[in-house]
Amino acid sequence: MSAMKKWASILVSVLLICSLAACGGGAANSGSSQNSPSSSDSGSQAVSSGEKKKLTVWYIDTGKRKELIEETIQEFMKAHPDVEVAAEQIANDTYKTKLPVAMGGNNPPDIFHSWGGGWLKEFVDAGQVMDVTGKIDADSYLPAALNLATFDGKLYGAPLAMSLTLFFYNKEMFEQYGLEPPKTYDDLLNIIDTLNANGIAPISMANKTKWPGALWLIYLANRVGGADIFNAAFERRGGTFDDPAFIKAGEMIQELVDRNAFVTGFNGLDYDTGQSRQFLYTGKAAMELQTSGYLTVVRSEMPEFESKMGIFGFPAVEGGLGKATDLVGGVSPVFSISSQTKYPDEAVELLKALTSKELAQRYVDEAGVVVAVKDVQYNDPFAIQMKEFLEQAEFLQPFYDQTLPPEMAELHKDTTQALFGKSITPEEAARQMEEAAQSMLGN
Amino acid sequence: MAGDAARIRRQNKLGKGLFLLFFIGPALLIYAVYNIYPIFATFYYSLFDWTGIQAEKTFLGLENYANLMKDRVFFRSLGNNVLLVFASVFTQIPLGLALALLLQSKIKGMRFFRTVYFLPFLMSTVAIAILWMFIYNPTFGVLNGLLSDLGLQSLQRSWLGEKSTAMGAVIATICWQFVPFYMILLRAGLTGIPEELLEAARIDGCTPWRTFTRITLPLLMPTIITSATLSTIGSLKYFDLIFVMTEGGPDSATELMATYMYKQAFRFFSMGYASAISSCMFILAFIAAVAILSLDRLRSRGGY
Repeated sequence: MSAMKKWASILVSVLLICSLAACGGGAANSGSSQNSPSSSDSGSQAVSSGEKKKLTVWYIDTGKRKELIEETIQEFMKAHPDVEVAAEQIANDTYKTKLPVAMGGNNPPDIFHSWGGGWLKEFVDAGQVMDVTGKIDADSYLPAALNLATFDGKLYGAPLAMSLTLFFYNKEMFEQYGLEPPKTYDDLLNIIDTLNANGIAPISMANKTKWPGALWLIYLANRVGGADIFNAAFERRGGTFDDPAFIKAGEMIQELVDRNAFVTGFNGLDYDTGQSRQFLYTGKAAMELQTSGYLTVVRSEMPEFESKMGIFGFPAVEGGLGKATDLVGGVSPVFSISSQTKYPDEAVELLKALTSKELAQRYVDEAGVVVAVKDVQYNDPFAIQMKEFLEQAEFLQPFYDQTLPPEMAELHKDTTQALFGKSITPEEAARQMEEAAQSMLGN
Repeated sequence: MAGDAARIRRQNKLGKGLFLLFFIGPALLIYAVYNIYPIFATFYYSLFDWTGIQAEKTFLGLENYANLMKDRVFFRSLGNNVLLVFASVFTQIPLGLALALLLQSKIKGMRFFRTVYFLPFLMSTVAIAILWMFIYNPTFGVLNGLLSDLGLQSLQRSWLGEKSTAMGAVIATICWQFVPFYMILLRAGLTGIPEELLEAARIDGCTPWRTFTRITLPLLMPTIITSATLSTIGSLKYFDLIFVMTEGGPDSATELMATYMYKQAFRFFSMGYASAISSCMFILAFIAAVAILSLDRLRSRGGY
């Protein structure tokens, strides 16, 4: 018995030592590979000629967009017979966990998806992302989209598609009650009252994941406080997150809740399983503020609804500084290259293919989205409308949670959900945001 | 001669040890690499300021733990965990026992019910979570529909959307998921009770209740203790169902230590801090397990 115990303990300690040593080796490796982006040319030639150069791509686009990305990669491999591309599509929420783990484990994909902004910046700051300034043609992308992948004047990726936040509404229902898309915020309030009087929930929302509600705060803050309200606070040049405009936006949200503007129990409903769209499909609610991905989802989920559906922009608030044409939006995907890639030249080529005009054109034609690539023809009626919104816009406000550092982004979404749930006052929400900003962004 | 015998015996022993090692080895290796090593690694990481995505770590000592002691969200999630532990131990096990006893009785079609009762445990947690999200849906859900059919509109709630009901709603789902597990465990315990004892009690004129309190329950105690240990540790580490159903919301009302740890690690990129939370979870679960087991030892010494 005692011999066995001894053996077991020896074995365990050997195992522990082995695994510790393995970990140490990994860390040492990462240190040396950090230098690889600078010596980009030597890497690709070092490989023996017989072997294929292997690149991995991680992306999250689904449905039609997934097919188009796959086709693009097939074409790329035909054009580059010496390169083998392994592309993996990963579900959105899984991806947010999987990429940090892969980066931390020094086993990142060569090309990876992001939304630009604060999330990408975490990886840039960690030295995990290759600087592609000058390697790709910045002039072929919309500047507003490119901004989200630019840090300290250096470019860390290229954008493909964009998403805009708009109201999606039931046209037939609006006609039935003699309603017009609102020009002003007061119009919107009147629409809400009319619909409520007719027993229809005015606005559907599934706010379990918190970002759908955040869209309201971002728009209201923009309409009340003007285009610069967020950037002034974020860049710490005179603005603050407890600015009266943010407080006013919080108050307006709570007034909407008091007015019964939203469907019951919205804070517990799940967007991904369609719990908000259900209200529109079944004629129980009239409209929903969502990103342009809504269209893709409706087309695959309930194609019959598309003919009834219309879109309008967020109305202007009387006396507010923001313009009715300003848009809230974001970029997805932004493709970036890992600084640890063994084949930087090929990776840049693939990056260009994944954000090319050709692919963008097919995204527009076949998936009905707006893209971040210039000189693309729009034919899909919804895409044309969205493109017009984009063209009229003098200012595109990126989603706060994609711009702020992750911890503040979460606080922003938490406090906004609490505002909707009326478990926090607008003043308190603003104070918490400003306090976090002071500790994380400086005074 | 005697020395030879001892040598042979020693060799035999060694041979036996190697033989056992041969069989245990692979499993032990996997266990060590994926369970034991990560536990120590977590303690190690918790001493650093580390994003988890870069190679450099900054040594902090115990600062992560000091911050944790000041963290209100952590204590709220700890409170929720404690609530979940009590709710689990005091509903899952009694209900599981009731069902197990029911299945013991000789009612027609019991085999069918046994399967039905066990079904929830066979479903994947994510499926259960989504199923119950639909049940709790305030507008389309079965629960509110049932309440309105019964004329109890005043009791209708947006179950997962309100801070006051969200935790209760989630706990009810967790109990629904795990009662079948304890049912099976306790049923196995019940079958282990010798038939003669029960028969003797019956012949002596014991009422069913007395038989239950004096014979069944004491003999079932080891199984109940095991169940309580499993339930407590499981509740302290609980993650998946809550994460799918509420993501810890609304407004942190259903935040657990594990969901908070996940947020810190993968949303905020504070791997060091998340490791500190994780270490605390380990220590708490360890203490709870030791406490229950030593109580059990006291009890069995007490002469049951």
